[in-house]
Amino acid sequence: MAKENAVEKEKEMTQEGFDPKILGFFCHWCCYAAADSAGVSRYQYPPNVRVIRVMCTGRIDARFVVEAFRCGADGVFTGG
Amino acid sequence: MIVTEASRQLLEDCGVDSDRLSLEWASAAEAPRFVELITGYVSKIRDKGPLGSSDGEVSRDTIKRRLAAAVKAAGARKPRTLLGNLAKKLSKSGDYSKEAIANGVKAKVLPAMRSERISHELRILLSEAPLDMKSLCTQTGASAEELEKIMAPLVKKGLISQKKGKIALVAGE
Amino acid sequence: MEGLEGKPGQFTAKVFQEPRYINEDLCTACGMCTMYCPRPVVDTYNERLEITRAPHIDYAQAIPSSYYIDAKACLRVNFETCNLCAQTCTAGAIDFSQKPKRLELEVGAVVLTPGFGRVDAAVLEKYGYGKYPDVVTAFEFERLTCASGPTEGHIVRPSDNKTPKKIAFLQCIGSRDETCGNGYCSSVCCMYAIKEASVAKEHEPDLDVSIFFMDVRTMGKGFDEARRRAQEKYGINVIRARVPRVDQVDGRLALTWTSDDGNHHSGIFDMVVLSVGLESPEDAQILSEIADIELNHYNFCSTRVDAPLSTSRDGVFVAGAFQGPKDIPESVTQASGVAAIASELLAEARNSKTVSITYPEENKALEEQEPRIGIFVCHCGVNIAGVVDVKAVRDYAASLPGVVLYEDPLYSCSQDALKSIAEKIKKNNLNRVVIAACSPRTHEPLFQETLRSVGLNPALVEMANIRDQCAWVHAQEPDAATEKAKDLVRMAAAKARLLTPLEQPTVDVTPGALVLGGGAAGMSAALSIAEQGYNVVLVEKSSQLGGNLRRLTWTLDGENAKAVLKELISRVDAHPGIEVITDSTVESISGYVGNFTSTIATGKKTRLVNHGVTVIATGAREYKPKSYGYGESPRIVTQLELEEKLARGKSFLKNARNIVMIQCVGSRGDDMSHCSRLCCTQAVKNALKLKELKPDCNIYIFYRDMRTYGFYEDAYREARRKGIVFLRYSPDKRPEVVKQSRGIKVRAFDRLLGEDIEIPANLVVLSAGIAPGDNQELSKILKAPLTSDGFFLEAHAKLRPVEIAVDGVYLCGLAHGPKSLEESVAQAKAAAAKATIPLAKGKVAVAPIVSRVDQDACIGCGICESLCPFNAIRLSKVGKRKKAQTITASCKGCGICASHCPTLAISMGGFTDEAIMAQIHAFSGQECSEG
Repeated sequence: MAKENAVEKEKEMTQEGFDPKILGFFCHWCCYAAADSAGVSRYQYPPNVRVIRVMCTGRIDARFVVEAFRCGADGVFTGG
Repeated sequence: MIVTEASRQLLEDCGVDSDRLSLEWASAAEAPRFVELITGYVSKIRDKGPLGSSDGEVSRDTIKRRLAAAVKAAGARKPRTLLGNLAKKLSKSGDYSKEAIANGVKAKVLPAMRSERISHELRILLSEAPLDMKSLCTQTGASAEELEKIMAPLVKKGLISQKKGKIALVAGE
Repeated sequence: MEGLEGKPGQFTAKVFQEPRYINEDLCTACGMCTMYCPRPVVDTYNERLEITRAPHIDYAQAIPSSYYIDAKACLRVNFETCNLCAQTCTAGAIDFSQKPKRLELEVGAVVLTPGFGRVDAAVLEKYGYGKYPDVVTAFEFERLTCASGPTEGHIVRPSDNKTPKKIAFLQCIGSRDETCGNGYCSSVCCMYAIKEASVAKEHEPDLDVSIFFMDVRTMGKGFDEARRRAQEKYGINVIRARVPRVDQVDGRLALTWTSDDGNHHSGIFDMVVLSVGLESPEDAQILSEIADIELNHYNFCSTRVDAPLSTSRDGVFVAGAFQGPKDIPESVTQASGVAAIASELLAEARNSKTVSITYPEENKALEEQEPRIGIFVCHCGVNIAGVVDVKAVRDYAASLPGVVLYEDPLYSCSQDALKSIAEKIKKNNLNRVVIAACSPRTHEPLFQETLRSVGLNPALVEMANIRDQCAWVHAQEPDAATEKAKDLVRMAAAKARLLTPLEQPTVDVTPGALVLGGGAAGMSAALSIAEQGYNVVLVEKSSQLGGNLRRLTWTLDGENAKAVLKELISRVDAHPGIEVITDSTVESISGYVGNFTSTIATGKKTRLVNHGVTVIATGAREYKPKSYGYGESPRIVTQLELEEKLARGKSFLKNARNIVMIQCVGSRGDDMSHCSRLCCTQAVKNALKLKELKPDCNIYIFYRDMRTYGFYEDAYREARRKGIVFLRYSPDKRPEVVKQSRGIKVRAFDRLLGEDIEIPANLVVLSAGIAPGDNQELSKILKAPLTSDGFFLEAHAKLRPVEIAVDGVYLCGLAHGPKSLEESVAQAKAAAAKATIPLAKGKVAVAPIVSRVDQDACIGCGICESLCPFNAIRLSKVGKRKKAQTITASCKGCGICASHCPTLAISMGGFTDEAIMAQIHAFSGQECSEG
């Protein structure tokens, strides 16, 4: 496993354009709604973020953030 | 905000560049702002490179192991109680300034989170093979003194043993 | 309808119903009848571009979702032969014994919504339609661009089925054209042409598209911005000219035109699209006789400015394009408005014939079984499938654990698709459903309802947002978007596996409304709600009712605005159900739909008002010009100031020889980006008034596009006929107001002469636009979003035009955006209609996303109680120890309690720790096992 990771990392590091994996936690009422509204307006933005909808950023537990990084996120974007 | 700050400090403690965690606000009406934020954030992370390659970050494998321990630490009762009490205190005082939150977490919550993290990491490391004190220190990023303190109750409970300078999990654990 | 007798509240409508020859209750819309029918007929729904068969359905989402037989074509009906369809129909739905029916319906009110009619073919012939195959109408072009249309969205020339390279749209075909009797503007064609052009460019990026406008009339909310974006993004050519005819040269189409600098041009195109206008319905005359209502001079339904939804006959109402050409948001708004008026008339009868829906009992045994997931990946026409490889996502979904069914409906929210999803849930014994489509914010309730209808708890559906947050925002990166869609589906499926059934609590509704703003919109909304039998508290910040209407003397169509105002105020004052609080503002609003509590401040005093719903009608104000020397001379005034002067008499015009009006002061990018919609008509109205009072004065109007839409076009034509001079300017060459020692001069560029001209002006009138009110504060209090222009944002432009994203809060009048008095009144009625829905129901369902405390794990530390922003969790004694408990009705499901609980004793409905962790693990794909 560790070896595989190293290989994988090597691959990523040498890749010309590194494409980060980002996990988003979006508040249902605010950021998630803003993201929907961006869609309705057909604004364009990079496709790197995967979103988990929560009812409020208050829901976000430290465990979620840490686990996201452990699971391979290069960044975590919490949007209230 | 307090939870985010605690997460940030816990990440730093694990050797992760805490700028990788971002907390931003965009109201339902602010689609253009959202697009700006997300675009900027993605390019920031792109510049930082994969996890483990940013300034001051330790190797990816070490990070992952520490994070595995940190998840357990973040779920442990003691640091959570301290975090909850801090949140309570700040909400009473109404002081939600960045400094108050950062200092509060650093003073009240981080030490407990860190020792929980190290304690769990120790067990993860030892589950693979017995190690000596020096390599345990390097791997966990803890000082020998800190480690002794954390190990003491574990030894007392008979969870780990210390023989000829090698530290090992007691079988059955 | 063949006859209408009786009086308001007690009509008898005679209705003639033609047979469908297919029993709606039995038809499963399988399409076998169409497949086997030997009799081809032209498909009128697809604008005659395709062939269908005698038994058919117009389109997949049609309601009722049942087929019908075209009686004129059917061999069985006409010759008693064939009968093939009846033999192939496995549902036994085909029934040739059906006869035409004459029904007598007892109704209290009648609403006329026949829509619009088509421009006569003779008018189109002038432009080569019918003669040259590549001249098409915009309706035909719309079908060509539609993914479910005859060419599946491929744009082809009818003559050779090849993709055209150069397309021209000709505007105002059958509109603004007295030669065909249609002197009015059809209001919608400019915007639909831009939309069709954009869709065409999206499909064929190399296409060269030109649109020939007389004026670009994109005055709807947000339309100017959309037009600007389309022009920039797609490079659509905007040409200001009216093309008189279309000729064919070497198999292509030749156009010649004259631009407004007097130069002649010509061009060759592969295809010409005629932007045909909206006429009154063909049978308008007959309908008017049967319903005994008056029509206007264009054969549309005649209405008054203060009662835009009422016909000349009491109890008979009108909505939509029959009242005048209008777009979808306005038609939908009027439709809601007319529902309110009918409800006012029939308030006593409410709930007298209620039937309540019963759902099958929840199948708890099935819910408890191992997850059996069905995944539906929606095409949403081309909205998703145009970017994301939907079939690949669907096939990927098949590989996920627990998935037993995976499909890709064209429109998963259409009635037939919902029905089919319900059937598939049953047939496959699904107990979890994932819909990969649009946003759960807008569509989750629909799919939850589908689950309920088959005995599953509504909490067992999860959505993956692959449209609003994927296909739409990564349109240029189909591969990355497809990968993202797969990830989102995987994450949704992971969560779905851990979903558990949730209870559906309901709470009682306080039967009253709070209306904010006492202008025309606020008063109309308050009256409608009160007429329907609910209490209203009307809060006005100034000392008297009336708002902007106080400043008007004449309405846009010349009626007496003061009389309208007086009538509204006296009705509000006299109504026992309405309490008016003037000189007051709202300080705070707390609670949720059904149970709001607001603090109203009057001076230093405050009082609390409990209400079930809230209506925003806070209006807007006239923009205060910052340019053209406004404020530096009494001879430079705004249109409203001119109107106030005119109302006082004409003495100030004694020496007026030249009067200059300047349009778009503040609007359309001068200071505010939006079009203020009314100023063009207002300028024309005031100019005509000036001409009437002082016939020998010269009036010049500098404009960018004259947007006298709908029937206001008559006034524009009259103004030109009376010698008022209209001069177009472009934003880079604005007119200048030059003050001299002895007067004022307006210097401007004359396009026809190609040089600057100077006009000595006795009076300069600035058409100052409509600026939003101070909406920021209220926006914060209500958590109601604003548009970038500062007006309140509706929840959905077409589907929910008078609601905002916050449940129980409704919107009307200028607070929503610039609009005329009659539009404000119609919208106010619509807001009232929507606001009375929770009031009439008496109960609202609370979302089951509340917190739940595990009593065994709780240690009674009280951290949750002190952190909850809604006071929705309290400690109380359970046995010997204190334990936390949730107050369900107050809980908003924010989860602060859960994320701070030391013992992880609190779980959130629909958002459990386990589910979120599963999503995180699924996010990582294969590399991450549970830690």
